[in-house]
Order: sequence, then structure tokens, then C-alpha cells
Amino acid sequence: MSESAIITTHNVNLWYNEKRALESVSMTIPKNKVTALIGPSGCGKSTLLRCFNRLNDLIDHVKITGEIKLDDENIHAPGTDVVTLRKKVGMVFQKPNPFPKSIYENVAYGPRVHGVKDKAELERIVEQSLRHAALWDEVKERLNDSALGLSGGQQQRLCIARTLAVEPEVILMDEPCSALDPIATAKIENLIDLLKQDYTVIIVTHNMQQAARVSDYTGFMYLGKLIECGKTEQIFEHPKEELTENYITGRFG
Amino acid sequence: MAEKFHTELKKLKTETLEMAHLGRFMLRTAVDALIRQDKELAASVVARKEEIHKMEVQLEEHCYHLIALNQPMAKDMRIIACTLKVITASLRIGRYGKVIANIVKKISDQPHIANLMTIPHMADLVIEMIDDSIEAYEKDSVDGISDFSARDDTIDSLRQSIFREGITYMMEDPKSITRCTNYILVARYLERCADHACKIAENVHYMNTGERIEIH
Repeated sequence: MSESAIITTHNVNLWYNEKRALESVSMTIPKNKVTALIGPSGCGKSTLLRCFNRLNDLIDHVKITGEIKLDDENIHAPGTDVVTLRKKVGMVFQKPNPFPKSIYENVAYGPRVHGVKDKAELERIVEQSLRHAALWDEVKERLNDSALGLSGGQQQRLCIARTLAVEPEVILMDEPCSALDPIATAKIENLIDLLKQDYTVIIVTHNMQQAARVSDYTGFMYLGKLIECGKTEQIFEHPKEELTENYITGRFG
Repeated sequence: MAEKFHTELKKLKTETLEMAHLGRFMLRTAVDALIRQDKELAASVVARKEEIHKMEVQLEEHCYHLIALNQPMAKDMRIIACTLKVITASLRIGRYGKVIANIVKKISDQPHIANLMTIPHMADLVIEMIDDSIEAYEKDSVDGISDFSARDDTIDSLRQSIFREGITYMMEDPKSITRCTNYILVARYLERCADHACKIAENVHYMNTGERIEIH
């Protein structure tokens, strides 16, 4: 990949107890691009995604070896502040998970935790984040309503706004559209395209058409290994590896 | 679902091969009719015009359905892309057969000049190229098409030699102008058919390897 890398992994291995979930994964994630991770269930794509903000640290009996660098700094270095890391590397999950609070409070929560107290500044962040998440026009009149009253697609965009509010560098998305209808999915996909101007997006998806539509680079994983990673056009038009070919043409198993 | 799609894809390929063989048959039969000055045989080629057109429409629609309903990728996508090109090339080859058959109807009342020059030989070489390109598509193999560039050069040289020879006969005897002009046209059509075989070969190469090549 010729673009400058924001994340690089070198020989990353991960075990859940005795089970090896990642095997010698080395890859680079280019800055301000969308990288998709595809592969069959259990291939390790979500595990790899969670490595990037050390979310696997929260799981018992996980062992990780190898090196992951964000902006050339090892995220497992002893001095790394995990809270700061997760501020830099935000995450959006499969099911929208807004806090049971108002729309405004959902977005303001992160900046508050990170020390923003000024009301005007918080209001500015909330508006900007909701605008970036393409939700502002739909909610600006009801910022104090409960976030749980929003539709599934709106809730997911609210979660994206909540992630943007702490100004991350990278946004991890783990199947962000799998619980959404096609219209809400299209809105999120359009949003991903806009977000890459300012952020780096890494998306895990089961939907290969979605990976093809939204990403610049695609990595195919199988049984914990990164089999092939390259430009999305190349992966979907003429993959180099037979395993990739078999997976994306549905000839697996 | 993938299994159903791949069965459909195989069916599409089988039907496309039928069309390719029809196009090839129309050209071969038209050339035979020209050599034998057989107007009836030529008429039988013209009669299949509608059939090949119908096949083109049906097969293209089949391709579009498969794309719309399955969003094919990688080799599956390349098979359909190649198939669309094979359909077009086969139609053109068949239509050149029909055009040559129409010429047969016009010039079969008088004996051939110079034994049709090298047209029969040129036609054999062109048909061989068409056969090899169809076989490459059928067998998903690039083995029989690796020398197409050199074979296409031979066809171009033969067309030029027929052109020069035809001009010579026309200068010698103006009464031969109509016949020789038609010979030159037939040579031109055969050369175009070889180009279509090259197009099929280029696309089979892409289907097989994912890499684009150009056969000059």
C-alpha cells in the first residue's frame, strides 16, 4: 500500500486460552482510507479489529504477541494509556447501543469524560458531531428527547456521532449495518464515504457487496490468518489467492 | 444459493457455446457456398439470421439477470464479462457469414477468377482461430490461443495479398471488377472474423487469469 500508514501490525498472534484466534497477522492500515476485513465466521476479523483499541484486554485469558503500532507508537508499550488509545481509536458495534439518556447527553458524554466542561464548547461539539454523522437535521429539534426513541439507523448514526465527539483518528466498525434495513444501511455507507476525509475507517462486514462498495482496501481472513490484503478492486476482480477467490465466489465448504 | 448460481453460470456458458458454434457454422457454410457457388446453401445461411439475433438477446438478458440477482465477483464476474464479449463476437461472425452468403447469391452465375485466389485457405485459417477461441472459452484454458498474435498477422498478410491480386485482375480485365471487389470484401470480412476470434481470446485470457492482454 503506497498511502501513509496509520496502523501497522507485525506478526500479531492472539490466543483465547489455548485457542489460537490470530496467527502471524501483519498488515498496514492506510490513513484516511476505508479498510474492510472480510472472512467467514470465526476467522478472527472481529478479534483483529478489537486488537486495534485493545478491547481484547477486557476478556480473561487472552494472550497477545507481536506488535501493533498506531502513529508509529506501540500500543502495548508499558506507558500506553488505554483510555487515550480508545479516544484515538473509536468503535461502533453491530447493534446500536445508545446510552439510556438524551440524544444530546449521548454525544456530550465522551467529551465530558475527557474534561470538556464549557457548555458552549459542548454544544459546538454535539452539533458538529451530529452533523458529521449526518444526523443533525433529523434530531436538531429534539436533542433532549431520549436516544432510545430514535430508529435503529438513527441510533447507529448517533453512536457514530458519539464516537466522533472525542475526535478519534481511527473508527472501528464491527458489522455496523447488520441490524439495519437497506435504507438505513445506505445512509451509513454514504456516511462512511464522507468520514474518510477526516478519519481512517476499519470495517468488519459479512456482506461482501458492502465491503466492495465502501472500502478502498480489503483484507481477507481465514482461520485466524490474513490470507490476502490489497486494493478492493483487485480483491474482488482478480484475487491472487485461491482461498480468497473461493470465498468471495461462494465456493467455500 | 452459491450452488444455484454456479449451475446457472454453467448453463449460460453451455448456451453461449451453442451460439458461438452457430456463428462459426454460418461463416463456414457461407464460405463453402462461395467455393461451390451453391446459392441454396447460401440461402440456408441467410435463413438463420433471426435465430442468432434471438440468441444474442436471450443470452445477454441471462447475463444481466445473473448480475442483478447475484452480484458476482472475481472469476464469476469475469466469466460473465467474457461471456458478454463472446456473445457479441459470435453474432458478428454469424453476420459476416450472412453477408458473404448474400455475395454468393450475386456472383455465382459465372466461374471463379483465379480459383478464388487464396480465399479458401484464408477461410480455413480464420475458422481454425474461431474454433480455438471457442474451445479456450469452453475449456477455460489459454493454451490454444497463445499464438494468436502471429496467426492474426498471417491473416492480415493474406488479406493484403488478396487485395493486391484483386487489383491486378481488375486492371487486366475491367469485366472482373464486380467479382474481384466482392473477393476483396470477403477477405476483409474474414479478417474481421479473425479479429473477433482475437477478442474472444483476449477475454478468455482475462476470464482465466484476471489480467488484460491485447492481441495485435
